[in-house]
Amino acid sequence: MGVEETARAWVAEHWKGVDDPAWRRSVYAAGYATPSWPAGPGALGCSRTESEAIRAVFADAGAPGACRELAPFNEDPWLNLIGGPILAFGTDDQRERVLGPLLTGEVDQGCLLYSEPGAGSDLAALQTRADLDGDEYVVNGQKVWTSGGHEASFGLLVARTDWDVPKHAGISFFVFPMHQPGVEVRPIRQITGGSRFSEVFLTNARVPAANLIGGAGNGWKVLQVALAAERRGMGELVLDSAGGPTATERRPPLFSRSDDLVAAARDAGRLDDPVVRDEIMKLHIWRLVNDWTAARAIAELRASGSSSLASLGKLANSRILHGSAALRFRLLGTRALQYDEAADPEGHQVDHDVMMAFINSIGGGSDQIQRNIISERVLGLPKGPEPDKGVPFNDVLKSDATRSLG
Amino acid sequence: MFAPLTADQQEFQALVRDFMTRKSTEAEVRRLMETEEGYDPEVWRRMAEELGLQGLVIGEEHGGQGAGWIELGVVLEEMGRVLLCAPFLSTVVLAGSAILEAGDPDAAAARLPGIARGQTIAALAFPGENGRWDAAGVTARAVRDGDGRRISGAAPATIDGHVADVFVVPARGEDGAISLFLVDRGDGVQTRPLRTLDLTRKVADVTFAGAPAQPLGEPGAGWPVLERVLALAAVGLAAEQAGGARAALEMSVAYLKERVQFGQPIGAFQALKHMAADVLVEVESASSAAAYARWAAAEAREELPAAAALAAAFCTEAFVTAAHQNIQFHGGMGFTWEVPAHLYFKRARADEILLGDAQHHRELLARRLGL
Repeated sequence: MGVEETARAWVAEHWKGVDDPAWRRSVYAAGYATPSWPAGPGALGCSRTESEAIRAVFADAGAPGACRELAPFNEDPWLNLIGGPILAFGTDDQRERVLGPLLTGEVDQGCLLYSEPGAGSDLAALQTRADLDGDEYVVNGQKVWTSGGHEASFGLLVARTDWDVPKHAGISFFVFPMHQPGVEVRPIRQITGGSRFSEVFLTNARVPAANLIGGAGNGWKVLQVALAAERRGMGELVLDSAGGPTATERRPPLFSRSDDLVAAARDAGRLDDPVVRDEIMKLHIWRLVNDWTAARAIAELRASGSSSLASLGKLANSRILHGSAALRFRLLGTRALQYDEAADPEGHQVDHDVMMAFINSIGGGSDQIQRNIISERVLGLPKGPEPDKGVPFNDVLKSDATRSLG
Repeated sequence: MFAPLTADQQEFQALVRDFMTRKSTEAEVRRLMETEEGYDPEVWRRMAEELGLQGLVIGEEHGGQGAGWIELGVVLEEMGRVLLCAPFLSTVVLAGSAILEAGDPDAAAARLPGIARGQTIAALAFPGENGRWDAAGVTARAVRDGDGRRISGAAPATIDGHVADVFVVPARGEDGAISLFLVDRGDGVQTRPLRTLDLTRKVADVTFAGAPAQPLGEPGAGWPVLERVLALAAVGLAAEQAGGARAALEMSVAYLKERVQFGQPIGAFQALKHMAADVLVEVESASSAAAYARWAAAEAREELPAAAALAAAFCTEAFVTAAHQNIQFHGGMGFTWEVPAHLYFKRARADEILLGDAQHHRELLARRLGL
């Protein structure tokens, strides 16, 4: 019997129309949670095509919880973020303990414990320390820009376990339990006045040595797998939004992509102002060419599995987001002086966008880091001097390891 | 729309690139730019006979290839890359499109085979003395002379006008309506080559003094045709510009890796790396704009006017940026005649105003969006 028939028989026998923890556990135990992952807990080691067939079997029956490795990044971000590193570097035991609860639905929320006050663009300069104590590591330090820190049951933590080797070589990667004393999550108040991110203070917090993924000192390599998954996810988001918010309308994006800016100019009575028209058209063109470059990137990715174009979109987006928000801000005139969501939601949104545009130009690698990456990896330009290269991390000039923003 | 080039199209692209790289070397460009004609008739003949480039979008019934604007866009990008010195934009994209778009079977049958065979060089005598890119730029006058017409007027910056055998001339009749005409080089036609900033593309001052003319297309319906021709020309020039911008960046990157100062290749300095990364964004964006525009020209004519204006506005500035920064990267060497950076810079600057500048095209785009 082929996998598809086997699955059909299994679903017929087990699916009672109730999606509860017991059902999820049985899907996991039967290997249908992630069938095309390498054989092991929750998986069958079958091909992607077979998994797609199994997915169809479950979908036909209206049975949820199967073939989650096929889902888009956004539907299952944590499975993607931690699945890759564990499959690549983890043990069977880690697979069972860490991925099992994610796949059975006992756990669904994690957080990222990567950046630090002293390690932003230069993440490998992180100074959170993890010191072995029996069969546990004791963790001390500060992380920043963590989303969902309060809700998360686990964090993906990179911490330094060896200070006498060059920076990349002393880093280790942990799946870290968040619910414990010694973990303090404090919201960061942003320039917008809101709080989307937190700083996380780790004071004598503990993580089992069994949760070290890939061995001590291999954390940088493990992290690259997690970051690659994150970038893939971001890429999917870009692809989803390519064509822009108006792509579903009847008018093609070529005509409609900047309806928001046109409406703003019309509302301001400035649509016949040649300077405003020129500015709108510049932004309109930037938006469209960036959409089209993204479309080219998709085509290249499909054809060859890689695309140097994919690294350009985020950088190119900065001038679009900053420029669009700034234009709408100026078009509002003195109305934009008020920043009060209740009194003027639309005006508030424009002010908010002016500030939020920095998320693109700073977050996930600032524009300047992006330019370094593009010039080195795409154009092949040489690296500049690296004063910390090959130097034991203890001897490297460092920023302060902690700085509270609360 | 961004179906990647098909295997056939890619093969064709490789063929064209190989031809252009061999035939339009820097030495060749420098030789031809010093000549008055500005092109190599032997290369022109081989472009037609071996690759069929002049007849690419001309139907097979007129001796052409019957291919489309995707292929033509690919060809123009390759030509732009090597600064090919040849009357291609004028003959094929400007005048050729006018004959194709005019919907005049007799003129098509009479003129297109010569263009496709590489035997006819043609030019568009537009705009007139006022240099305007709207209908007001049509300043030549057509008067009745028995059954025929005679044209008087001037087009002081006609691309390749000095070598054209035939001119497409928009002109106003006695009633002011705009019609297109064909005027053969001969009595009443005077052309004077200009000393140009961009030596790789020649421009001539063309004067018609009662020159005998044949109508091209419907009388009085010249402006809509000309507008379409200018849109197609914008698509063609954008493709050239995208290719030129890429070549300028490639030159920059090579120099950044090779030139050493302060004990390291200058490409290791972040100030220059960041400039280069920004130029790459412009170059790839220009390729995207050019690709969209050629697709619109080939398969989505309802989007052509807007897509052409968009590509013209963007690619013009991208090429200027890439060529400008290329000189800046080269420092003192970039200011010399010996280093070819100035050839790309002059082409980029001339292109910037060749069919109207970027602001003009952005305003056209705004109108074509209904604003």
